[in-house]
Formats: sequence, structure tokens, C-alpha cells
Amino acid sequence: MDTHARRRLFWGILGGTLLGALWPLGGLAFANVEVGQKVESAELPTLDGGREVLVSGKALANVFVFFRPHHDHSMETLRAMAACEKEFDGRAVHWVAVVSDSHARDDVRAAVAEAGIRMPVLLDEGDRLYGKLGVRLHPVVGIADDAGSLLAYVPFRKINYCDMIRVRIRYALHEVDLAAIERVDHPPKALFPNEVPGAVASRRVSLGEMFLKSRQWTKAADQARAAIESDPTVAAGHVLLGRALAGQGKCAQALPAFDRALALDPGSSAAAEGKQGCAARKAPGAR
Amino acid sequence: MTSRQLALLLAGAAALALPGPVPDASAQEPKALRKHSFKVNPGPLAAPGNAVSTHAPFEAGDCSICHVHADPRKPGPLSTSGNALCTSCHEEFQEIMRRPHQHPPAVESCLHCHNAHNSRERKLLHVELAAGCKDCHRSIKDIVERSKVRHGALEQGAKCANCHNPHGSSVEKLLIQLPFDQCVGCHAQEVVRDDKGTALTNFKKLLDENKVWHAPVQARDCSACHLPHGGDNFRLLVAGYPAAFYSPFDAANYALCFGCHNEKVVSEPETRTLTNFRDGSRNLHFLHVNKADRGRTCRACHEVHASRQPHHVRDGVPYGSRGWVLQINYTRTPTGGRCAKTCHELKTYARD
Repeated sequence: MDTHARRRLFWGILGGTLLGALWPLGGLAFANVEVGQKVESAELPTLDGGREVLVSGKALANVFVFFRPHHDHSMETLRAMAACEKEFDGRAVHWVAVVSDSHARDDVRAAVAEAGIRMPVLLDEGDRLYGKLGVRLHPVVGIADDAGSLLAYVPFRKINYCDMIRVRIRYALHEVDLAAIERVDHPPKALFPNEVPGAVASRRVSLGEMFLKSRQWTKAADQARAAIESDPTVAAGHVLLGRALAGQGKCAQALPAFDRALALDPGSSAAAEGKQGCAARKAPGAR
Repeated sequence: MTSRQLALLLAGAAALALPGPVPDASAQEPKALRKHSFKVNPGPLAAPGNAVSTHAPFEAGDCSICHVHADPRKPGPLSTSGNALCTSCHEEFQEIMRRPHQHPPAVESCLHCHNAHNSRERKLLHVELAAGCKDCHRSIKDIVERSKVRHGALEQGAKCANCHNPHGSSVEKLLIQLPFDQCVGCHAQEVVRDDKGTALTNFKKLLDENKVWHAPVQARDCSACHLPHGGDNFRLLVAGYPAAFYSPFDAANYALCFGCHNEKVVSEPETRTLTNFRDGSRNLHFLHVNKADRGRTCRACHEVHASRQPHHVRDGVPYGSRGWVLQINYTRTPTGGRCAKTCHELKTYARD
């Protein structure tokens, strides 16, 4: 082995190890090929009588969709992949669907037509490819890079399946980073309105400001107090209270509210203006 | 530098070298709205004393906050049309309605579900939350009402909103979290019981103690095997799964497993491709399972959620009616494995 080959081998092993360790859902893999390992290409007969390779060196992303006909999860996946295929039109993605040649051709054709996929359907003669990779589940989607290194193995799931495959294809296309995959795999909890931090206080402040506009000082002050009770750290609540109190001529009480707002948000121009307004009123000669 | 530090350094460098995330292209198209069958009254209750919830601006008695006039007898039209009026105070909806999955009625109008004045229901809803959901989602209503096995989550607490966020979510089906997080959120305590009073598994404990997780568990997708709204199978399973240790072989009995696993794994007596549980080409799954009388069911040897042994092999198998458990003592070898004295004497298999 020459130096160049040894170097490639070293970086290949290091890259594969790192990818396997860092890749989200790294524990999932084909039985015989793990994430980071190479999927050897092969040329297989296709459903329409031609031949097609499993891995294309011209594509940045090689996507293999293993399925079987008369199978609900497979059909759900093929339909999702049909949409995905269109979305990646014109990009460097090589798609193939793979099915065991033990299934009746007409059944496979019917499944393909119903799902609307356009990708070539490879016929796995004697389940050789299934055996070589160790495909134990249907459906499952594998994604490899241009060199055939397996980037992702994504078995079927009912929820967010398409999102998870799409982001991995985009990773292979160098459009997103690993953090994007992490975000899709672990989406944030969908908080309810009152759970969103600061939402209740913000709502009270908004309503209070409307009362301020119509010079309903007492109601504005009530909303400000409710906002502060909900979240004492919201500077806008203290500003609102200061303005409501100042509107009632209670500058002595308003000033501490403006001070508190400035302590929380030193850049608050509303608090600074409110404080200046109160100071001007207290000044000698002020009306 | 340790290997971990090196890994983090390289990962960091890779993250810096790559472009930032591209906005999600999968934004949902608005769907045709189903229509409520109940009559929606946009105005205040005739008898305000019956109100369970009252909108703060209405309670304050200043109609001009939303309408063009302050006079309650003649408030006139709204000062701003559509949801923009609501979100001028409910600012958190700026974020909520940017989530990738949105509830079409919420996108169209808050007033599809809420009354802007007061209501006999919580959260200013026109009707009780689950009734409102099921009024449009009639197929779910049918499942809930007709299922032999019911899911307590639909009948307790926030009901539909225990699992779904009716406004927007980053998860399909408007789930609050991915199914696994959602399910384990409740099924992580000893007190959860089924409708017959049987204590259900504490999954946090089970998964903490058993580190070999079944793929759907790893994929955080409980809904691959369980129906969350109700069903006719034990434990809300999506398809049949024999409860017994022995069962005459019939592929239909294994519909749950074959939903993902290749059924040829138990139908082909000889193989070098379908399974690694083979002695040479002799398919040992076929040998154990495919019997007309005493076929072993999947559960005879495998744990469905998590196990300590590889390949989801159980620690032991029940023997007799007195609860005695025979240890399986499975050992993996480079080319196969062996089970120590258990159902049978020590047996070893090798693929090559």
C-alpha cells in the first residue's frame, strides 16, 4: 500500500469512527453495514428492464429506499419519497428503490404507480443485496455519500419521517450541518401560549398600553401589576406601571417603577423618558 | 489531546466550515377546512354570570380595545381584521404560528374555536375542548368511541391537548413532542394503570435498566407499534401479537412484527441472507417459529422494548404455570452465538 493509499485509509477510518460516534441515531444501522462504513456499489436489473447502479459517484447523496409491495408502511414511505424526490429535482441526488425479486412484478409496478415515485426500482435477485447489507426491516432508507460511505440509516417511523430523511439528504448535499439534523431529530416542545416564557406578562403589558392610550390609568396600572406578578423581570411591565402612576399624578410612586425598569433594561428609552417626565414635574416651577 | 477532545474539535471545525441551516422548504400548504357542526356565537353570553372564562378586554368593559367604539351598546366593527387583532396582544403567537406544522383553523381565524368575549368553557372555547376537536376530526371520534381498548390520555386532564397543541408544533400531527417523549412523559411512573386496573410499565425505569433498545424505541416512535387514540388489540397494538409462549405458526399472528420485519425470516427454511440467526444456511428463526403445533412466538425469545442481551433476547423465558423463569444465557460469538442450557441443552450456531 503506497503512502497516499495509507493516508486515505487512515482518514477514512477516522472519519467513519467520528461520524458513527457523532451522528444522531448512530446506534441504528443495517445489520452488516454501519454508519460510516462503505456500501459497495452494484449494478442491478431494474423493474423496467434496464440496469442501474446502487451508488453513483456523480451524486453527492445516494438514497436507497428498501420496500415491499402490499405493505402499508412501505406505501406510506414511497408516497413520502415521491414528494421528496420532486423537492430535490435538479440536485445531485441519486435515488433508487430496492425490492426483492421474489415479489410479483405486477405487484411492484402497482405499488410504484400508486406511490408515484420516478426513481429506478432495482430488483434484488435472490435477496443478495438485502443479505449483503443486512436489511432486516421494511421500509428503510439508507443515504450514502458520493464515495458510498453510509451517512444515514433511517427505518420507518410514523412521525416526522420525511423531515428526518430530507435533512439527512441536505446534509449529504452540504446544505446543512449536523446541528440541523439534531434539531429535526429533537424538535423543541410545542409550548402552549401560557407556557411561552414571558407571554402572559407581555399580553398584560399590551392590554395595559391600550388603556394608557385611552387614559384609563387605573386599568393600565392593574394590567401592569398583573404583568409584574406574572414575570417580575419584564422591564416593560415596570415601565407601564410607572407611566400609569405618572398619568395619575403619582410621580413619587412612579419613579421607583421606572428605576426598576432601568435596572432590568438599562437601554429602556421609555423608562428614561418617564423618569425625566416625573423629574420635570417635581422640578421648581413645574406645573 | 484525548480522542473525545479531538472529536469535539473536528466536529466544531466541521460545523464552522459548513453553511448555516437553510430555511425549511416543507412549510405546510393551507388545507381545506372542515366545518364545525355546532353553531358558533361570536357575541357575548346572554347571561355573563354563566361564564367560566372571560376575555380581559371584555371584562374591562372597554370595547374600543378591539372595536372602533367603546360603547358596549354600539361597539361597531373590529378595529383590525383577522388574527392580527388577537396577536397584537397575544404576541407569543408570532412564534407559535411560525412552527412548521400549523392547525389550519388557527391559521384562518382564532374565532373558529374561541369566543372573543366570554364562554361557558375554559380558554374561551366555544365548546368543551375534546368535543370541539372531535366535531371536526370525526374519524378520530369514531376510533375513540368504537375501540375495545381505550387510551386514558384521551379522557383525562387536558384530553386531546395532553398530546396535541391545537395551534402549531414542530412535530407532525401537531404533537407537542415526538411520540416517545410524549408517551414516556406519562408512562414513567408506577401509578399509570390500564382500564382493568393493571399497572403499566414504567418505561423510564425499564429503558434505564435495559440498554439494548428496539429500533422503534431508538427512533422514538411508539406510534410505529401502538395506536394512541384507541384500538382493538391488547395494549393498543397496531396489529395482532400473540400473548402466549407457543402458538401454531400463522403469519397473520405476527402482523405487528411483520409491519417492519421481513416475514420471509420465518418462512424460508434455508437462507444465507435473511437472518444472522442461522447455522450455516439453516434458518433458526424458521426452526423455532414455523411449527404447526408448538411454534415459539416472537415474545418467547425477544423483549419488545428493551433488553440487556443483544438482539433483544430476553433474560429468561417463563416455564410452567408457577412463574419460574428459565435463564436464556445467550452469548454472541464472532460468527454466531449460543444459548446455554435453557429450553434445550447448550446449542451453538455459526453462520460460516
